[in-house]
Amino acid sequence: MKRNILKLGILMLGLFTVLVFYLSYLQVIKGPAIAANSYNRRFMEFEAQVRRGTIYDAKGVSLARTEFSGDRGRRIYPRGRETAHLVGYISDLYGRAGLESTYDHYLLGMEGPDRVRNFINKLLDREQSGGDIVLTLDAYLQGLAMDMLGSRRGAIVLLDPRSGAVRVMASSPSYDPNQLSDIWNSLVTDEASPLINRAAQGAYPPGSTFKIVTAAGALAGDPSLARKTFNCPGYIEVNGYKLPDTAVHGEVDIKKALAVSCNTTFAQLGLNLGPNGFERAVKAFGLEQDPGLGIPVRPATMAPSDKMDPAELASSAIGQGEVLVSPLHMALVAAAVANRGVIMRPYLVDTIKDSMGEVIQRTSERKWLTASTPEISGIIKEGMIEAVRYGTATAAAVPGMQVAGKTGSAQNPHGPSHAWFIGFAPADRPSLAVAVILENAGSGGAVAAPIAGRLLAAAAARGY
Amino acid sequence: MISGSFGQHGISPSGIMRATGSRTIERNLLLLAALYTLAGMLALYLGVPGAHGHQALPAGLVTVIAFFLVHLYWKKCGYKADCFLLPITAVLSSTGLVFLFRLNPAYGMRQFAWILIGLGALLLTSRLLIDFRFLGDYKYIYALGGLIALILPIFFGVEQGGAKSWLDFGLFHFQPSEFVKILVVLFLASYLVENRALLTAGTRSLGWLSIPGPQEWVPLAAMWGVSLLLLVFQRDLGTALIYFGAFLAMVYAATSRVLYVLFGLGLFIAGAAASYHLFGHVRSRVEIWLNPWPFIDTSGYQIIQSLFAIGSGGILGTGLGQGYPGFIPLAHTDLIFSAICEEMGLLGGTAVILLFMIYVYRGIKIALNTKDEFAALAASGFTALFGLQAFIIISGVTGLLPLTGVTLPYMSYGGSSLVANFILLGLLLNISHEAEAGL
Repeated sequence: MKRNILKLGILMLGLFTVLVFYLSYLQVIKGPAIAANSYNRRFMEFEAQVRRGTIYDAKGVSLARTEFSGDRGRRIYPRGRETAHLVGYISDLYGRAGLESTYDHYLLGMEGPDRVRNFINKLLDREQSGGDIVLTLDAYLQGLAMDMLGSRRGAIVLLDPRSGAVRVMASSPSYDPNQLSDIWNSLVTDEASPLINRAAQGAYPPGSTFKIVTAAGALAGDPSLARKTFNCPGYIEVNGYKLPDTAVHGEVDIKKALAVSCNTTFAQLGLNLGPNGFERAVKAFGLEQDPGLGIPVRPATMAPSDKMDPAELASSAIGQGEVLVSPLHMALVAAAVANRGVIMRPYLVDTIKDSMGEVIQRTSERKWLTASTPEISGIIKEGMIEAVRYGTATAAAVPGMQVAGKTGSAQNPHGPSHAWFIGFAPADRPSLAVAVILENAGSGGAVAAPIAGRLLAAAAARGY
Repeated sequence: MISGSFGQHGISPSGIMRATGSRTIERNLLLLAALYTLAGMLALYLGVPGAHGHQALPAGLVTVIAFFLVHLYWKKCGYKADCFLLPITAVLSSTGLVFLFRLNPAYGMRQFAWILIGLGALLLTSRLLIDFRFLGDYKYIYALGGLIALILPIFFGVEQGGAKSWLDFGLFHFQPSEFVKILVVLFLASYLVENRALLTAGTRSLGWLSIPGPQEWVPLAAMWGVSLLLLVFQRDLGTALIYFGAFLAMVYAATSRVLYVLFGLGLFIAGAAASYHLFGHVRSRVEIWLNPWPFIDTSGYQIIQSLFAIGSGGILGTGLGQGYPGFIPLAHTDLIFSAICEEMGLLGGTAVILLFMIYVYRGIKIALNTKDEFAALAASGFTALFGLQAFIIISGVTGLLPLTGVTLPYMSYGGSSLVANFILLGLLLNISHEAEAGL
């Protein structure tokens, strides 16, 4: 019997030993990740003791700051609904979102030199503080963009194609994060989904703006297409399915096809590319990737290659079919053409400072993808210039500056077509790339192009 | 009682064996425990604003004195029992007390009162039940008494934490199942000793296996089955698990037949599967154990808050009074270990586990040192009971096993559990004393 008791003892001690190892693993290795969950209210409590850093735009306008009345601090968002989707919010009840969430640790002084500094502050019972963040955003332009969107649903993205810095990322409808607790219930039940950042997470058929991707793919596969002409009888038949055009365009070269937005030409180019070639073209522009901005981005989707029959392929080539894309990605497409085929990694945060004002991180410009060659981009650019000069995008023209663009009127099952415009300016030395979409607003040329033009003009006037 | 001078000897090379009953070692360890306790109370007093510290300091002082009084009484009587268990218990109880004061001084004061009562029970047990053998003679009375005690809460009881295992006596709640555990061990020890030969050898054969006949195992199984069913009806799944584990442990110790263990495990798995399908609350517990995150707002809230607390502790912990154990539901009872892990870190949590391990180790040693089978079985039964309970609840709050509503011995808030565990300690020490004194 004694032997059994001994074995029993060893078993029990063994169980406890396993427990010790498990606890160590849990607390040291998995612990930090678990504790970082936004449902963990320790952050909230800890925060109440810390002077949270301020978020600024590129010109020093504050977008999120803490105001104190006596001892109690409240987080204020001076630009309210204009920057809600980007800046985000922190809330005891509703968690955290946006850049306020992504850069939480820096704003709370929990990273870098601030960690030690605040630890000492805590011991000495002094105030702990976090660092400020400076964005690439321009609050004035952001406000202008939101004004132009008005009460309509849509999004606008404006960025610098040379560096990737995002100047405007507007999404409408929006909401006032200062009133979050009052309006939360109506926000989550609102069928217009105001909480969604349509600029980065929207899923829209891109319509004719997608022809740029098709063109790049076609020219990459067959450079001689640059000198060829295509015949457009006003429609194209694909396997018995008739794809109509907006007009009979007659003889067009690729540039003119872009300028007048000829469906027939690009459907044909898509068919010539085949599903694999088309997919390659889409991948080249990084449409199916999240560029890693610090806020959630929805990658583009389209029909899988086994479902990509000729009819679907032809539709996809003109930005219809099952293709769904975010406005941010389309802005990056425009940026690619603007920047001689190279897409720079987009970013929102310019510098991160510590509580003493010292810069601890500065985002440097980085190449993200080489979507196309300088030659091909040049050809497409000329097509886009022609679009603004005499084609579908004349409403985007800005006096004193040549704008290049492409319109789109994307058919969709929810009503009138989505109005799209993507483009860049000044065409000879582009410093701005833009994408505008208004849901179910009709013609891209009539509705989206003028907005883009105004925004580009305003941005240029501010020196961007 | 033999009054001897063993207590005056310290540890000497030739006297290592004698060290087991050395009251001097016990005194020294208790002094360390006292320092530990007072340090904790002082930390509360200095670091946590409010009543926490003001009430904690005197309570801590009195607790320390109370433990010493027990020690002095034993020294005076020449008690030869294991000298390590009381200091370990002191540290565990004090840690629990410090944390309860940290969480809520009201709990702290009540736990303080219960500790004093528990120490009283310990004293009485070591005095009155020192001749514990007679307990083995009344096993069928225990069975009946235990049964009644377990049935009462089903009809007259109140529900707490999903388990209908409490009786309301106005001033306090009483949980019979904590005390019945002790009766069960005594019953089993006595019964197994009587029928040991038959159960080991078997009187029938099933193929090449020899198994005991109905006269042998039916009373056993009946007693076992009924208590298990009662616990399932009381929905106290953790306690059912402990009863079952201790039962299996004792049967194995007595008969050394792995067959019984396997059979028992098979029964357990079958029972577990059946209850999973039959009972929604069992299903729910298993679901949130496997993946609590989808239920973060609802049934998984408790275990997730526990995980947040543990995850926030790191190695050194946030420091006493610096963490937020208030977010953990029921931190004062079942989840006190999570609060300890948050504020005392991995080091604190591991230290607590190590203390339990040493307790189990000493308990097994006591069982091995006894002269006869009844004592050995009883000691191993008590040790198994104790160790299993600690293991189950610590595993539960860390997510290694499903969370059950079982207390952490000596540390969780709860009078019945505390007093029962002190009585258990007393019985264990009595067995130890008899073995040492007879040497």
